Amino acid sequence: MVTNARPTRADHYRALAGSLPSRALVVTSLGNASYLWASLHHAPENFYFEDAMGLTLPLALGLAIAQPDRPVVAVEGDGALLMHMGALVTIGAMNPSNLTILLIQNGVHAASGGQALTNATLDLAQLARASGIKHAENLNAPSALATRIAAAEKRDGVGVMVLATEPDVEVVRPPVPFDPVATKHRFMAAIEAPRYVPTLFGGGMLERP
Amino acid sequence: MTTSTEAPEAHRPSVVLDTLKRLGFGTVVSVPDSWLGEILIRIDQEPGMTLVRATHEEEALAIACGSRLGGVRTALLVQNAGVLSMGAGMVSLAQRYQFPLLMLVSYRGTPDDPVFYHVPKGRATEPVFRGIGLAHACTDRYRPIGPQIEHAATYAEEASCPFALLMGREDIQW
Repeated sequence: MVTNARPTRADHYRALAGSLPSRALVVTSLGNASYLWASLHHAPENFYFEDAMGLTLPLALGLAIAQPDRPVVAVEGDGALLMHMGALVTIGAMNPSNLTILLIQNGVHAASGGQALTNATLDLAQLARASGIKHAENLNAPSALATRIAAAEKRDGVGVMVLATEPDVEVVRPPVPFDPVATKHRFMAAIEAPRYVPTLFGGGMLERP
Repeated sequence: MTTSTEAPEAHRPSVVLDTLKRLGFGTVVSVPDSWLGEILIRIDQEPGMTLVRATHEEEALAIACGSRLGGVRTALLVQNAGVLSMGAGMVSLAQRYQFPLLMLVSYRGTPDDPVFYHVPKGRATEPVFRGIGLAHACTDRYRPIGPQIEHAATYAEEASCPFALLMGREDIQW
Protein backbone atom coordinates (compact mmCIF):
# COMPACT_ATOMS: atom_id res chain seq x y z
CA MET A 1 0.00 0.00 0.00
CA VAL A 2 1.34 3.41 -0.90
CA THR A 3 1.05 5.97 1.88
CA ASN A 4 2.08 9.57 2.27
CA ALA A 5 2.03 9.36 6.05
CA ARG A 6 5.08 10.80 7.77
CA PRO A 7 7.14 8.57 10.06
CA THR A 8 6.17 8.48 13.70
CA ARG A 9 8.26 9.54 16.65
CA ALA A 10 8.63 5.83 17.44
CA ASP A 11 10.09 5.18 13.96
CA HIS A 12 12.74 7.81 14.54
CA TYR A 13 13.39 6.67 18.10
CA ARG A 14 14.00 3.11 16.98
CA ALA A 15 16.52 4.42 14.44
CA LEU A 16 18.15 6.50 17.16
CA ALA A 17 18.32 3.60 19.59
CA GLY A 18 19.91 1.41 16.94
CA SER A 19 22.61 3.92 16.04
CA LEU A 20 23.31 5.66 19.35
CA PRO A 21 27.05 5.75 20.10
CA SER A 22 28.20 4.16 23.32
CA ARG A 23 28.77 6.80 26.00
CA ALA A 24 26.07 9.02 24.46
CA LEU A 25 24.00 11.18 26.79
CA VAL A 26 20.39 11.78 25.78
CA VAL A 27 18.21 14.69 26.90
CA THR A 28 14.52 14.45 26.05
CA SER A 29 11.77 17.04 26.29
CA LEU A 30 8.63 16.61 28.34
CA GLY A 31 5.75 14.25 27.55
CA ASN A 32 6.06 11.51 24.97
CA ALA A 33 9.50 12.75 23.96
CA SER A 34 10.66 11.34 27.31
CA TYR A 35 8.02 8.66 27.94
CA LEU A 36 8.51 6.94 24.61
CA TRP A 37 12.30 7.16 24.75
CA ALA A 38 12.24 5.63 28.24
CA SER A 39 10.00 2.84 26.88
CA LEU A 40 12.38 2.05 24.06
CA HIS A 41 15.78 2.78 25.55
CA HIS A 42 15.78 3.55 29.25
CA ALA A 43 19.32 4.12 30.51
CA PRO A 44 20.93 6.00 33.39
CA GLU A 45 22.53 8.29 30.81
CA ASN A 46 19.06 9.62 29.87
CA PHE A 47 17.95 12.93 31.34
CA TYR A 48 14.16 13.19 31.18
CA PHE A 49 12.37 16.51 31.35
CA GLU A 50 9.26 16.42 33.49
CA ASP A 51 8.04 19.88 32.51
CA ALA A 52 9.93 23.12 31.74
CA MET A 53 8.75 23.27 28.15
CA GLY A 54 11.27 24.99 25.89
CA LEU A 55 14.32 24.45 28.07
CA THR A 56 15.59 21.12 26.72
CA LEU A 57 17.97 22.61 24.18
CA PRO A 58 19.65 25.11 26.51
CA LEU A 59 20.09 22.43 29.17
CA ALA A 60 21.61 20.11 26.55
CA LEU A 61 23.95 22.90 25.49
CA GLY A 62 25.21 23.33 29.06
CA LEU A 63 25.67 19.58 29.36
CA ALA A 64 27.56 19.35 26.05
CA ILE A 65 29.94 22.11 27.17
CA ALA A 66 30.48 20.39 30.53
CA GLN A 67 31.04 16.96 28.97
CA PRO A 68 32.97 17.70 25.77
CA ASP A 69 34.21 14.12 25.40
CA ARG A 70 30.77 12.55 25.30
CA PRO A 71 28.16 12.78 22.53
CA VAL A 72 25.02 14.58 23.68
CA VAL A 73 21.73 14.05 21.82
CA ALA A 74 18.80 16.35 22.57
CA VAL A 75 15.22 15.72 21.43
CA GLU A 76 12.94 18.74 21.29
CA GLY A 77 9.61 19.49 19.65
CA ASP A 78 8.75 22.30 17.27
CA GLY A 79 6.32 23.90 19.72
CA ALA A 80 8.84 23.97 22.56
CA LEU A 81 11.50 25.32 20.23
CA LEU A 82 9.25 28.26 19.35
CA MET A 83 9.08 29.15 23.04
CA HIS A 84 12.83 29.72 23.22
CA MET A 85 14.07 30.25 19.68
CA GLY A 86 16.92 32.34 21.05
CA ALA A 87 18.48 29.11 22.29
CA LEU A 88 19.34 28.25 18.69
CA VAL A 89 21.40 31.45 18.48
CA THR A 90 23.30 30.62 21.68
CA ILE A 91 23.88 27.06 20.48
CA GLY A 92 25.11 28.37 17.13
CA ALA A 93 27.50 30.75 18.91
CA MET A 94 28.96 28.07 21.21
CA ASN A 95 28.79 25.38 18.49
CA PRO A 96 29.92 22.29 20.43
CA SER A 97 30.64 19.46 17.99
CA ASN A 98 29.44 16.83 20.47
CA LEU A 99 25.86 18.15 20.46
CA THR A 100 23.26 16.66 18.10
CA ILE A 101 19.73 18.06 18.13
CA LEU A 102 16.67 16.21 16.87
CA LEU A 103 13.72 18.51 16.27
CA ILE A 104 10.43 16.65 16.08
CA GLN A 105 8.26 18.72 13.76
CA ASN A 106 4.72 17.46 14.19
CA GLY A 107 2.99 20.80 13.84
CA VAL A 108 1.24 20.79 17.21
CA HIS A 109 1.91 21.18 20.92
CA ALA A 110 1.75 17.39 21.35
CA ALA A 111 2.81 17.36 24.99
CA SER A 112 -0.16 19.47 26.02
CA GLY A 113 -2.78 17.70 23.94
CA GLY A 114 -2.27 18.74 20.34
CA GLN A 115 -3.05 22.45 20.27
CA ALA A 116 -2.16 24.33 17.09
CA LEU A 117 1.22 26.04 16.84
CA THR A 118 1.67 29.71 16.05
CA ASN A 119 3.27 28.59 12.79
CA ALA A 120 3.44 24.89 11.97
CA THR A 121 5.22 25.18 8.63
CA LEU A 122 8.43 27.00 9.42
CA ASP A 123 11.58 25.68 7.81
CA LEU A 124 13.32 24.87 11.08
CA ALA A 125 16.51 23.70 9.38
CA GLN A 126 16.79 27.05 7.64
CA LEU A 127 16.08 28.76 10.95
CA ALA A 128 18.92 26.80 12.55
CA ARG A 129 21.30 27.70 9.73
CA ALA A 130 20.36 31.36 10.07
CA SER A 131 21.20 31.01 13.77
CA GLY A 132 24.76 29.99 12.95
CA ILE A 133 24.35 26.20 12.87
CA LYS A 134 25.99 25.01 9.68
CA HIS A 135 24.91 21.38 9.86
CA ALA A 136 21.11 21.59 9.81
CA GLU A 137 18.87 19.60 7.54
CA ASN A 138 15.38 18.23 7.11
CA LEU A 139 15.23 14.45 7.18
CA ASN A 140 12.30 12.23 6.37
CA ALA A 141 13.54 8.67 6.52
CA PRO A 142 14.51 7.18 9.90
CA SER A 143 17.31 5.35 8.10
CA ALA A 144 18.83 8.73 7.20
CA LEU A 145 18.69 9.70 10.87
CA ALA A 146 20.53 6.52 11.81
CA THR A 147 23.24 7.27 9.26
CA ARG A 148 23.71 10.82 10.58
CA ILE A 149 23.82 9.71 14.21
CA ALA A 150 26.41 7.08 13.44
CA ALA A 151 28.58 9.65 11.66
CA ALA A 152 28.07 12.49 14.14
CA GLU A 153 31.47 12.00 15.75
CA LYS A 154 33.19 13.29 12.62
CA ARG A 155 31.05 16.40 12.38
CA ASP A 156 32.58 19.84 12.93
CA GLY A 157 30.04 21.78 14.98
CA VAL A 158 26.50 21.23 16.23
CA GLY A 159 24.16 19.10 14.15
CA VAL A 160 20.44 19.76 13.82
CA MET A 161 18.09 17.27 12.18
CA VAL A 162 14.49 18.24 11.66
CA LEU A 163 12.24 15.19 11.63
CA ALA A 164 8.75 15.64 10.22
CA THR A 165 6.46 13.26 12.08
CA GLU A 166 2.85 12.48 12.67
CA PRO A 167 1.59 14.02 15.93
CA ASP A 168 1.51 11.57 18.83
CA VAL A 169 -0.87 13.06 21.36
CA GLU A 170 -1.86 9.78 23.02
CA VAL A 171 0.24 9.67 26.14
CA VAL A 172 2.67 6.77 26.45
CA ARG A 173 2.87 5.26 29.91
CA PRO A 174 6.48 5.64 31.08
CA PRO A 175 8.06 2.37 32.21
CA VAL A 176 10.07 3.92 35.03
CA PRO A 177 9.29 6.51 37.71
CA PHE A 178 10.05 10.03 36.54
CA ASP A 179 11.08 11.45 39.88
CA PRO A 180 13.17 14.49 38.87
CA VAL A 181 15.75 14.32 41.63
CA ALA A 182 16.21 10.57 41.12
CA THR A 183 16.66 11.20 37.40
CA LYS A 184 19.35 13.77 38.13
CA HIS A 185 21.23 11.67 40.67
CA ARG A 186 21.07 8.55 38.48
CA PHE A 187 22.43 10.51 35.54
CA MET A 188 25.23 12.19 37.48
CA ALA A 189 26.29 8.89 39.06
CA ALA A 190 26.34 7.22 35.64
CA ILE A 191 28.68 9.82 34.17
CA GLU A 192 30.74 9.97 37.37
CA ALA A 193 30.22 13.69 37.62
CA PRO A 194 32.25 15.48 40.26
CA ARG A 195 30.26 15.80 43.46
CA TYR A 196 30.29 18.46 46.14
CA VAL A 197 32.39 17.55 49.15
CA PRO A 198 31.39 19.74 52.07
CA THR A 199 33.60 20.97 54.83
CA LEU A 200 32.27 21.76 58.25
CA PHE A 201 32.51 25.53 57.97
CA GLY A 202 32.04 26.16 54.27
CA GLY A 203 34.46 26.21 51.39
CA GLY A 204 33.58 22.78 49.97
CA MET A 205 34.60 21.95 46.43
CA LEU A 206 33.50 19.64 43.61
CA GLU A 207 35.62 16.50 43.48
CA ARG A 208 35.67 13.39 41.31
CA PRO A 209 34.04 10.41 43.06
CA MET B 1 35.45 29.02 59.18
CA THR B 2 36.05 31.24 56.22
CA THR B 3 38.51 33.97 56.96
CA SER B 4 39.18 36.93 54.73
CA THR B 5 42.38 38.71 54.03
CA GLU B 6 40.48 41.13 51.85
CA ALA B 7 41.59 44.70 52.40
CA PRO B 8 38.77 47.16 53.05
CA GLU B 9 39.79 49.16 50.00
CA ALA B 10 39.92 46.07 47.74
CA HIS B 11 38.39 46.35 44.29
CA ARG B 12 35.30 44.29 44.97
CA PRO B 13 34.57 43.07 41.41
CA SER B 14 38.15 41.76 41.22
CA VAL B 15 37.56 39.90 44.46
CA VAL B 16 34.33 38.45 43.04
CA LEU B 17 36.22 37.08 40.05
CA ASP B 18 39.08 35.76 42.17
CA THR B 19 36.62 34.03 44.50
CA LEU B 20 34.82 32.33 41.62
CA LYS B 21 38.16 31.04 40.36
CA ARG B 22 39.27 29.89 43.80
CA LEU B 23 36.03 27.99 44.35
CA GLY B 24 36.42 26.16 41.05
CA PHE B 25 33.63 27.73 39.03
CA GLY B 26 34.26 26.50 35.51
CA THR B 27 31.30 28.03 33.69
CA VAL B 28 29.47 31.33 33.94
CA VAL B 29 26.21 31.86 32.07
CA SER B 30 24.98 35.39 31.64
CA VAL B 31 22.68 37.92 30.11
CA PRO B 32 24.45 41.23 30.69
CA ASP B 33 23.40 44.61 31.96
CA SER B 34 25.46 47.79 32.28
CA TRP B 35 26.87 46.77 35.67
CA LEU B 36 27.86 43.26 34.52
CA GLY B 37 29.36 44.11 31.15
CA GLU B 38 33.01 44.50 32.15
CA ILE B 39 33.32 41.60 34.59
CA LEU B 40 31.95 39.34 31.85
CA ILE B 41 34.76 40.45 29.56
CA ARG B 42 37.25 39.54 32.30
CA ILE B 43 35.58 36.15 32.82
CA ASP B 44 35.71 35.51 29.10
CA GLN B 45 39.47 36.10 29.22
CA GLU B 46 40.02 33.59 32.02
CA PRO B 47 41.61 30.43 30.58
CA GLY B 48 39.97 28.14 33.13
CA MET B 49 36.45 29.49 32.73
CA THR B 50 33.84 29.27 29.99
CA LEU B 51 31.46 32.18 29.50
CA VAL B 52 28.15 31.47 27.78
CA ARG B 53 26.28 34.56 26.62
CA ALA B 54 22.61 33.56 26.50
CA THR B 55 19.78 35.42 24.78
CA HIS B 56 17.29 35.23 27.69
CA GLU B 57 17.63 34.66 31.39
CA GLU B 58 15.38 31.59 31.51
CA GLU B 59 17.49 30.08 28.76
CA ALA B 60 20.60 31.01 30.78
CA LEU B 61 19.16 29.22 33.79
CA ALA B 62 18.64 26.03 31.79
CA ILE B 63 22.18 26.20 30.35
CA ALA B 64 23.49 26.53 33.90
CA CYS B 65 21.42 23.52 35.01
CA GLY B 66 22.87 21.46 32.16
CA SER B 67 26.38 22.53 33.00
CA ARG B 68 25.94 21.60 36.66
CA LEU B 69 24.35 18.31 35.59
CA GLY B 70 27.56 17.65 33.70
CA GLY B 71 29.56 18.17 36.88
CA VAL B 72 30.85 21.72 36.43
CA ARG B 73 30.39 24.29 39.16
CA THR B 74 28.37 27.01 37.48
CA ALA B 75 27.34 30.58 38.22
CA LEU B 76 24.64 32.75 36.68
CA LEU B 77 25.31 36.48 36.30
CA VAL B 78 22.11 38.31 35.50
CA GLN B 79 20.14 41.42 36.37
CA ASN B 80 17.26 41.19 38.85
CA ALA B 81 14.81 41.83 36.00
CA GLY B 82 16.16 38.66 34.42
CA VAL B 83 15.30 36.62 37.48
CA LEU B 84 11.76 37.98 37.28
CA SER B 85 11.54 36.61 33.74
CA MET B 86 12.89 33.14 34.55
CA GLY B 87 10.21 32.19 37.06
CA ALA B 88 8.77 29.12 35.34
CA GLY B 89 12.16 27.57 34.68
CA MET B 90 13.22 28.38 38.21
CA VAL B 91 10.41 26.43 39.84
CA SER B 92 9.92 23.64 37.29
CA LEU B 93 13.55 22.93 36.42
CA ALA B 94 16.18 24.41 38.74
CA GLN B 95 14.26 23.98 41.99
CA ARG B 96 12.30 20.89 40.98
CA TYR B 97 15.49 19.00 40.08
CA GLN B 98 17.43 20.64 42.94
CA PHE B 99 20.30 22.11 40.95
CA PRO B 100 22.83 23.95 43.09
CA LEU B 101 23.50 27.23 41.30
CA LEU B 102 25.16 30.42 42.45
CA MET B 103 23.30 33.42 41.08
CA LEU B 104 25.08 36.78 41.23
CA VAL B 105 22.33 39.29 40.54
CA SER B 106 22.81 42.98 39.90
CA TYR B 107 20.24 44.62 42.14
CA ARG B 108 18.84 47.41 40.03
CA GLY B 109 16.13 49.83 41.11
CA THR B 110 17.30 50.38 44.66
CA PRO B 111 17.75 53.91 46.05
CA ASP B 112 21.45 53.62 45.14
CA ASP B 113 20.62 53.07 41.47
CA PRO B 114 20.33 56.37 39.60
CA VAL B 115 18.52 54.85 36.60
CA PHE B 116 14.91 55.64 37.39
CA TYR B 117 13.26 53.12 35.11
CA HIS B 118 14.71 50.22 37.11
CA VAL B 119 12.66 51.23 40.16
CA PRO B 120 9.60 49.04 39.40
CA LYS B 121 11.83 45.98 39.00
CA GLY B 122 13.70 46.77 42.18
CA ARG B 123 10.47 47.08 44.11
CA ALA B 124 9.21 43.72 42.87
CA THR B 125 12.43 41.78 43.27
CA GLU B 126 12.49 40.51 46.84
CA PRO B 127 8.72 39.89 47.13
CA VAL B 128 8.90 37.79 43.94
CA PHE B 129 11.96 35.91 45.17
CA ARG B 130 10.09 35.09 48.37
CA GLY B 131 7.01 34.13 46.38
CA ILE B 132 8.85 31.55 44.28
CA GLY B 133 10.89 30.30 47.22
CA LEU B 134 14.22 31.47 45.81
CA ALA B 135 16.82 31.54 48.58
CA HIS B 136 18.60 34.87 48.52
CA ALA B 137 20.52 37.54 50.41
CA CYS B 138 21.71 41.08 49.78
CA THR B 139 25.39 41.86 49.95
CA ASP B 140 26.62 43.95 52.83
CA ARG B 141 28.74 46.75 51.42
CA TYR B 142 30.58 47.19 54.71
CA ARG B 143 31.86 43.60 54.82
CA PRO B 144 34.42 41.93 52.52
CA ILE B 145 32.71 40.58 49.41
CA GLY B 146 34.76 37.40 48.97
CA PRO B 147 33.31 35.54 51.97
CA GLN B 148 29.81 36.64 50.98
CA ILE B 149 30.28 34.99 47.58
CA GLU B 150 31.69 31.87 49.21
CA HIS B 151 28.84 31.60 51.69
CA ALA B 152 26.26 31.97 48.93
CA ALA B 153 28.01 29.28 46.86
CA THR B 154 28.19 26.98 49.87
CA TYR B 155 24.50 27.51 50.61
CA ALA B 156 23.59 26.53 47.05
CA GLU B 157 25.55 23.29 47.28
CA GLU B 158 24.58 22.36 50.82
CA ALA B 159 20.89 23.04 50.21
CA SER B 160 20.91 21.72 46.59
CA CYS B 161 19.13 24.74 45.21
CA PRO B 162 19.79 28.00 43.41
CA PHE B 163 20.89 30.84 45.67
CA ALA B 164 20.66 34.45 44.52
CA LEU B 165 23.05 37.05 45.93
CA LEU B 166 21.69 40.53 45.22
CA MET B 167 24.66 42.76 44.52
CA GLY B 168 25.20 46.49 44.59
CA ARG B 169 26.99 48.44 41.93
CA GLU B 170 30.23 48.67 43.92
CA ASP B 171 30.27 44.87 44.20
CA ILE B 172 30.01 43.95 40.55
CA GLN B 173 30.57 46.92 38.22
CA TRP B 174 34.26 46.78 37.25
